Amino acid sequence: MPVLECKGLTKRYGSVQALSNVDLTVEPGRIVGLLGPNGSGKTTFIKLANGLLTPSAGTLTVCGVQPGKESRAAVSYLPERTAIPTWMSAQQLLDFYGDFYQDFRRDAAEEMLEHLGIQPRQRIKQMSKGTREKVQLIMVMSRAAKLYLLDEPIGGVDPATRDYILSTIIGNYDPEASVIISTHLISDVEKVLDEVIFIDRGQVVLQSSVDEIREEKGMSVDALFREVFRC
Amino acid sequence: MLRKLLKHEFRATARIMGPLYLVLLITALGANLTTRGLLATRYRLLDLVGVLLVMAFFIAIVGVCVMSMVVMVRRFYQNLLRDEGYLMMTLPVSIHQQVWSKLIVSAVWFAATFLAVMLAFCVMALDVSIVEGFAQAARTILQEITAYYALNGAALMGELLLLAFFGCCAMCLHFYAALAVGHSFSNHKMAWSVLWYFVFSFASQFLFGALMLLMDELPLLNWVGGLVAGWSAMAQTHLLMVLMIAGCVVYGAVFYVVTVWFLKRHLDLE
Repeated sequence: MPVLECKGLTKRYGSVQALSNVDLTVEPGRIVGLLGPNGSGKTTFIKLANGLLTPSAGTLTVCGVQPGKESRAAVSYLPERTAIPTWMSAQQLLDFYGDFYQDFRRDAAEEMLEHLGIQPRQRIKQMSKGTREKVQLIMVMSRAAKLYLLDEPIGGVDPATRDYILSTIIGNYDPEASVIISTHLISDVEKVLDEVIFIDRGQVVLQSSVDEIREEKGMSVDALFREVFRC
Repeated sequence: MLRKLLKHEFRATARIMGPLYLVLLITALGANLTTRGLLATRYRLLDLVGVLLVMAFFIAIVGVCVMSMVVMVRRFYQNLLRDEGYLMMTLPVSIHQQVWSKLIVSAVWFAATFLAVMLAFCVMALDVSIVEGFAQAARTILQEITAYYALNGAALMGELLLLAFFGCCAMCLHFYAALAVGHSFSNHKMAWSVLWYFVFSFASQFLFGALMLLMDELPLLNWVGGLVAGWSAMAQTHLLMVLMIAGCVVYGAVFYVVTVWFLKRHLDLE
């Protein structure tokens, strides 16, 4: 059964068409790059998969069910902004995730926080912006979810932090699960991707495996992206 | 899951309300010094301190009451409609549970604020005889009501508590509905929320007024009036209380439906 499937998925904001008739399927065990320029519809797609938005038309299922209470238990979502409550301490945040997600691996999260030198009693608001993002990623990747939806996980951070984020993703996701990484920073994520989806102006323009792109087109994903989205 | 939501909601709000209650009780102790004779000394400086302590006490009372309202609105707004909404609205819980957790916690803090203010007055008085006097007066009033109307005064108290609970919930839901509708717009979300708050207020007052006029025109009211005319005053009071509770429930239910509908179908986080 596909982890994520959508047919004719459309989302309109008033007269603006954010997504138009999107059909795609993501199988288990794949790391998929959702790639497109700014404003192409990546975040809208991820919000729809999380049930944060309602489709204007078409269907979307996650693990065979429509986005809702049941699907959310199977999806681990990293939003593009810091959403963890800043008044909480690291300890309280661990309690929070542990309370709501049965698949939360507290020991793994504690180990990663310790590795970053974060004290359990330290409050989120006392941390730098970069550290907050790392803590949020640690919480998301400490779940044994079936689908990880990561919206711009490496946007706006320095190269060393990008490496840390990507190694945290690769080192912690369940190999039977799928990971969808939305980004426009292709060269940084290319090395970890199995598959790519190019999205432009709300439409899927390409869905292919990374190996196929390299073998058939003889170019890297980054080079193909630059060619497809040339201004 | 509602239990877990409540746990974290109490944890988030207690860090604000707890210190406020503490400040209230400290100012009550200060006001107690005044009532114990600070104003009766020959020193004008002490008179001034006494007046300031009493003022601080009353400001603290107003502050605690206002803050319990602010916390109620702010928690819904910050926790569900701002950045934290990305976390909260993707938890494996239903929208109903989210709204109920906010409602229950707000109602509990309103009740706690009432009790804290009562306690603060007792601390201010401190003289046990004054506190006992208040308690005795309350007991006497209840006994008088019970004896005079030959009906259960405790039932009336229960109805009053229910009315207070549903009234608090309805008031919260009025704010929640306005925020949920306002935040379904792409821009100027807070301005839309304020506008919708006044639209809802106007619409509910208009409907209530129209209902009163309609009932006045219909023979139904006369028929009901004739029916209850033979009832005792206490039974009529019970009927009135039940009608008021039902009114609060209907008023709150309308806003509850609006809130849940907009959070489910038209949520548009920034």
